[in-house]
Amino acid sequence: MADQVTETRQRIRELLIEMHGPDSFVRTVSDTVSLRQQGLSSAALVSLLVRMEDAFGFEWDDDIQPEVLRSISSLAEHVVALRV
Amino acid sequence: MTAVPATLATGTPGTYLEWRPVAPPYGPREQFAAGRQAAAAALAAAGSVVRTVPRVVGGRPEFPRGYPGSIAHTDRLAVAVVVPGAAGVGVDIEDAVLTRRVVDFVLYESERRSLLAPAGDYSPVELFSAKEAAFKALDGTAAGDGLLFWRIGLARSDAGLVAAFDGLSVPVWVRSEGGCSFALAVRR
Repeated sequence: MADQVTETRQRIRELLIEMHGPDSFVRTVSDTVSLRQQGLSSAALVSLLVRMEDAFGFEWDDDIQPEVLRSISSLAEHVVALRV
Repeated sequence: MTAVPATLATGTPGTYLEWRPVAPPYGPREQFAAGRQAAAAALAAAGSVVRTVPRVVGGRPEFPRGYPGSIAHTDRLAVAVVVPGAAGVGVDIEDAVLTRRVVDFVLYESERRSLLAPAGDYSPVELFSAKEAAFKALDGTAAGDGLLFWRIGLARSDAGLVAAFDGLSVPVWVRSEGGCSFALAVRR
């Protein structure tokens, strides 16, 4: 489970780098900080969510809670929980 | 885009609108600073003695009592709006190119069918901005708790658009120029 979360975090970080480039804030952003507060725009957040659907093969539920979308860690934990 | 769109440069009576360019290297720190500079200018124009806007829990800006406002920015341009006496204010500017998938994610099917051109009068990025502005204007209400901006519904109104969620509604004014979409929602 812990390995899955780590791998998923890394994949989400790769998706962010694909969107923003290797020299962006993504390079140094920690797994647990708020992505929005680090400069991720609302358009970029939605783009990330769409890319996650393709990368991990799921669709976001309509009743997803905002806390899930807060950080790389919270996103990864949600994806892994869907697979359990 | 760094220049302020001419048709968006000024607000309407009772609405204090200020723009500031984002300084190089155009990162989050510079965007934040430009937003706060715009907010200070808008507060000054509105007559507020307090012209600082601290960031509170969740990262939201906290405007002085009696001077509700909102801040938005792109990589290169920041805008702030203050509307004294309003119950809630939301502003958004967008210059992003939205993919079809993002548009489908953010807009309900009924919104795509009735509001997007050619059936409607709006572009995808205008509707995206409208939802984001409405989200900010609804912040602090019961409906705003736990709200994700794309869940807000949009419909036509006599004056343009009206955004609604969970029994609350707010009119939204949208304008575009030069690839930049601007949306303002004022809750009374």
